[in-house]
Amino acid sequence: MALEVHPGGRFESSAINMKSESKKIVLEGLWRNNPIFRQVLGICSTLAVTNLVLNTAVMCVGLIFTLSLSSATVSLLRRFTPRNIRMMVETLIIAFYVIVIDLVLKAYWPEMSTSLGPYVGLIITNCIVMGRCEACGTSNPPGVAFLDGMFNALGYTFVLLLIATIRELMGMGTFMGYPVPYFSGPHWDKWIIMVAPPGAFFTLAVVTWIFRSVGIKQEQKGK
Amino acid sequence: MVAKWWFPVAFMFVVSAFFSSIVIGFARFTDERVEANKDLAFEKAVLTVLPGLLQEGESRLEIHRKFVDRVGPPDEQSAGACVLRDAGQIVAYALPIEGQGFWAPIKGVVGLKSDRRTITAIAFYEQNETPGLGAQITTAEFTSQFPGRIVSSEGKPISFKQPGSALGANEVHAVTGATQTSTRLEKIINDALTEWRSKFTPAGGSNRAQ
Repeated sequence: MALEVHPGGRFESSAINMKSESKKIVLEGLWRNNPIFRQVLGICSTLAVTNLVLNTAVMCVGLIFTLSLSSATVSLLRRFTPRNIRMMVETLIIAFYVIVIDLVLKAYWPEMSTSLGPYVGLIITNCIVMGRCEACGTSNPPGVAFLDGMFNALGYTFVLLLIATIRELMGMGTFMGYPVPYFSGPHWDKWIIMVAPPGAFFTLAVVTWIFRSVGIKQEQKGK
Repeated sequence: MVAKWWFPVAFMFVVSAFFSSIVIGFARFTDERVEANKDLAFEKAVLTVLPGLLQEGESRLEIHRKFVDRVGPPDEQSAGACVLRDAGQIVAYALPIEGQGFWAPIKGVVGLKSDRRTITAIAFYEQNETPGLGAQITTAEFTSQFPGRIVSSEGKPISFKQPGSALGANEVHAVTGATQTSTRLEKIINDALTEWRSKFTPAGGSNRAQ
């Protein structure tokens, strides 16, 4: 796991800068500082949940909720939280939101809760959440932290959905459980390895490679 | 105050107490529903394996009512299986099965006709197998193999075979890429069936249908 966390910078919150700042946060989270292929955070869950698109989607909704709200909550408490126990407080806040999601799924969407199994609980250990709370939540006002959390989670979501689509399609010939023409037919010999754990490594590596190459080209053009 | 030595302790305590009380309150609030969901999942599985009971799109309440009216909880008389009766005659059994899967316990129900040998269907209501692999045991592709299989009276009641191989009357195909889940599930089903069968000794079987 890469340890370097992009500091995210200290965003000025003055009204004039607000618009360009939020635009910057959106772009940073989705592309320039994407949690998966730039920060290389949260790889554990990327590898674990991406073999079915539907599971990935629900997991990502859970992450968007947790990351934006916990980052905002950490930010609200940032002036009172003693530095030496801030990690404990952050973990507590993250765990709180995750337990709430878990309870809501168990009570109102039991089918999804069973099919996600332990993955929801594992959002607590998702490095992105802790990483963004540390990098942005502890040093910015709640609004900025919320936006930053949300767009980092969305950046994570779109990469995960892409990986899940590739894996489910090649491994099982379906998308969201529905058979896809050709891939579910007799001419496509399903690559079981794609839905098995190794498939996650291959797909993640290829996706990161492609996105990084595009990113490098953009940077070169910018210069 | 922030610089005082006791402040971090007090702060942690207050924050923990605040968030815990919200979670506890919320858990209390949803507790009943979560429990009801668990019961309902079992009841639905039972109705699924008994012939002609479950219709598409039935509401939770309808499923629960039907379970209470027509089937009822497992009873001792039929060695721990739920029984479907029609005009006093036993039509089918629904035998709960349970055991350790690859990651977590697998719980399900096997339906058997009154001869206690012909399988009507199988359904699972709790499992945490690998999505896309072991979890395929819940899909129709796997479960549809069971209706009509005859449990053998000697040796292994049901055998799992390699996908693609020819099948006998008591054999089904295992799940591709999920050897661990398949082996464990085979054992869970067989253990339950063997134990259940042993309870129907000629002396003890009070309501034998054969």
